[in-house]
Amino acid sequence: MGLDRRAFLGLVAGGTVGAMFTPIPWKLIDDASIWTQNWPWIPRVPKGQVDYVATTSKLCPAGEGLKIMRVAGNPILAGGNPSHPLSCGGVSALARSEVYMLYSPARIKSPMKRNGKTFAPITWEQALVEMAEKLGAAKGAVASISGDNTGTINEVLTALTAKLGSAGSFMMPSEATTAAKAMKLMGAQGQAGYDFENADTVLVLGADIFETWGTSSRNRKAFGANRPAGAKPANSYVYVGPTRNNTAAVCDQWVPAAAADLGVVALGIAWHLLKAGATSNAPGFDTFKAVVNGGFGPEDVKRATGVAPETLAAIAKALASAKAPLVVTGSPFGQGLGAAPVIAGMSLNMLLGRINKPGGVYMLPELPSVVPGALTRAAMLDGDLPAFLKGVESGKTPAPKALLIYDANPAYGLPEAATMAKALEKIPFKVSFSSFMDETAALCDLVLPNSLPLERYDDVATPYGSGFCVYSLVRPIQKPICDTKTTGDVLLGLARKLSIDLKFDNFQQVIKEKVASLAKVSGGFVAKDVMPWQVAAGKPAPALVGGDLWKALEAGYAWTMVGQAAQTSMGFAAEVLAKAVKAGKPATATVLAPYAQLRTGTPVTGMPCQDLTTVPDTELLGDTTFIRVNSETAKALGLKKGQMIKLSGAGVDCQAKVHIFESVMPGMVSAPLGFGHTAFDYYSQGKGANYLSLAAVVEEAGSGLSMWIAPEVKIA
Amino acid sequence: MSGHKMEFPITWGMVIDIDKCTGCGACMASCQTENNVEPQREASNKLRATSWMLVYELTNDKAFPNHDIAYLPRPCQQCGNPPCVSVCPVIATDKNENGGIVSQVYPRCIGCRYCVAACPYHVRYFGWYDPIWPEGMEKTLSPMTSVRPRGVVEKCTFCHHRWTQAKDAARVAGKDPDNLDDGAYVTSCVQNCPSGALAFGDIKNPKHKVHELVKSPYAFRLLERLGTDTQVYYISRREWVRKLGDNYLKSE
Repeated sequence: MGLDRRAFLGLVAGGTVGAMFTPIPWKLIDDASIWTQNWPWIPRVPKGQVDYVATTSKLCPAGEGLKIMRVAGNPILAGGNPSHPLSCGGVSALARSEVYMLYSPARIKSPMKRNGKTFAPITWEQALVEMAEKLGAAKGAVASISGDNTGTINEVLTALTAKLGSAGSFMMPSEATTAAKAMKLMGAQGQAGYDFENADTVLVLGADIFETWGTSSRNRKAFGANRPAGAKPANSYVYVGPTRNNTAAVCDQWVPAAAADLGVVALGIAWHLLKAGATSNAPGFDTFKAVVNGGFGPEDVKRATGVAPETLAAIAKALASAKAPLVVTGSPFGQGLGAAPVIAGMSLNMLLGRINKPGGVYMLPELPSVVPGALTRAAMLDGDLPAFLKGVESGKTPAPKALLIYDANPAYGLPEAATMAKALEKIPFKVSFSSFMDETAALCDLVLPNSLPLERYDDVATPYGSGFCVYSLVRPIQKPICDTKTTGDVLLGLARKLSIDLKFDNFQQVIKEKVASLAKVSGGFVAKDVMPWQVAAGKPAPALVGGDLWKALEAGYAWTMVGQAAQTSMGFAAEVLAKAVKAGKPATATVLAPYAQLRTGTPVTGMPCQDLTTVPDTELLGDTTFIRVNSETAKALGLKKGQMIKLSGAGVDCQAKVHIFESVMPGMVSAPLGFGHTAFDYYSQGKGANYLSLAAVVEEAGSGLSMWIAPEVKIA
Repeated sequence: MSGHKMEFPITWGMVIDIDKCTGCGACMASCQTENNVEPQREASNKLRATSWMLVYELTNDKAFPNHDIAYLPRPCQQCGNPPCVSVCPVIATDKNENGGIVSQVYPRCIGCRYCVAACPYHVRYFGWYDPIWPEGMEKTLSPMTSVRPRGVVEKCTFCHHRWTQAKDAARVAGKDPDNLDDGAYVTSCVQNCPSGALAFGDIKNPKHKVHELVKSPYAFRLLERLGTDTQVYYISRREWVRKLGDNYLKSE
């Protein structure tokens, strides 16, 4: 049967019409269009039940309470906890990163042992055996370093170190170590706490209180709460420091003064207060008065610092006439300040009668210790780590045989990083408990990764700067993602292996005991309906229902207490001021004025990956960081905008590009910290330079404390 | 201008107190994670990086010691009269919903970038690269916001999903979803700002704080003279900051 033309056309026409009426071609086109957009490499968002659980940020030094959003049990987002007194709903860029950090490419995935220049994975049992053997052999010469200022883990670490024969238990230097030294020299008991919530006139000497100093998220909330948008502020803030930093940017006044001159400015203000009749019964007042009147008159201060006499007089007048003045002293970059400026700043509080007053300074008592043989926080803060490591490097101090490093990255986060790294090399056996492969872990013999805060029990006890005693719980909200363990458990397991009795089997027991001890502290309460600053202002503290404390902490509330440790001999430490604070001639060399920001992480976290976007291109461009100088300094040094330069100091060179920024004092080079990592992941590594390594450590006269507040640098 | 100006009974607005902003970047970090913006290795290349919320540094342009700075967080301004909408050839972006939030429909976007060029506030970002999270990190993606492929434009949505959630919560509680309490719906940046510099609410609702804040003598909007009628207001007691909000000539 043939196919004639008519039949063929009929077949084609019929087929076409049929095809038009069948769904097949339309379905195929639809499928094709979906397929072209169905890119399997684009991640799908997770599905499941959404819930919220509370914990506390441990990666951020500000210690904010967090509300973690979970989907099907997996943490997704970290937000501020409105019920927590150190958060009040706010959260720093660093605390926000706690969830993403679980999957940081820099995470150490299992215990590792050094094998030549690389590391080989080992089991936890092998790690414990190795550690027990080496530490057993090193008995009598074991040192420890902790970067955790607020955790009960320090009790376990220092008790174990002591039982092994301590060569020293040190805290990484910070605002807390400087302040502790200052308080000790003043004969004070307790940790200085600043009641921003009830203060109405705040003088900030150097401290970057809204970024890196103390409880910075809470500080900002307290600042903002009394400044309704568009209305006259109910508080007044004056910032004294070398640059208009994040804090100074929102203060009512910025008074430019070198970080090295903060003590001089403070004593210059004291001169006005004394002239106006301020007095004190505290020990050493007469000597203090003589020191101030002998060299810190308005013209002395102007000659030394450039601060005009009328500016000082106005600040003194504002403080003296305020209902609740407060003076806060700290380092513009969170470390390296000597004790004397803190003493000078605290002297102003004493002259103004602000100790143990609402809106003033409370000398907060230490929370009860639970691990037998542990160092107190005050004793731990008293150690001088840079001095110790410099001594080890130079051979003046015998190198410990073993070093335990917890939550610290001294090879990156200390000044004179090159010297510190050399000192670490002299210590034959080093163990890092870091969660991330940081610069120090890379130098160690054993790396035993700590579980991250969202995977472990931990705690945050009264971070430095808090105006009240506060304790909040860090709790695991998911199982460890990698083969990691809570370091507290590892240390307790090690103690058992070495037949050392530390009273506890696991770290959760330690935390539970700590909470139980808090329930017995008189005056403590759970901040829920009443916040501690309201109690400080006179509202009655609610009673604590003891049995519910653990549950309340798990629910994200904080235990708090208002009040101060009994003071018997808090004085002016005028003899230290006389030696350490001098209204001399202004520096003629170029001085480094570093600044630090939470968005670039800490030495322990490296750069949180999603925070990299928050860094402006005037700070980091490609792999180069910028230093900031004003146009006058640029002209004097022959620098141009965008020019590549080399900074030298402490035997180290760093590259930088020049950014002209007028809010830097003449003669100062402002440089961002948090860059220039050689370890971690591709979000941190090789991005810019570590300008802290340019800072040379010097010994402060009068206190003997290591300081690096105003290092000189050379520019080429 | 575009002829898209519409009035809505609800007008979601943000008020940013510049005098409280320390420039810390917490709003940016909050936005990124809330809205599934991937971590970007080369984030310093601002022509290619995506940040729905961006903090600008403002300066009064004076030399030391009279120099002053301020930080200006910039989300999508949610224009009442949006220049981006009129140029979109495929209606991938529109202003057609109560609340006045300018929409962005990713599957409809053809990546022509007309809207990017039209937006005077630079709030629109073109996805130059595939979004890639480090291994495992995709488990932390928020289920509230879809992940965008490369080749489409994206921008701040005032965390629109949170509005949906707030309306659902109101319905469950037996309340009127079109008359939410103040604070029942806020964006992620507003919620997490440690300084309390950001406020959010219905500008037309007298019970909402922003209703009064926008009337402050210190309140201003960016490039007001363009007639974009934005729903983001800024407050500063500093005159130089307010003047920088628009392109004033030196003689003005």
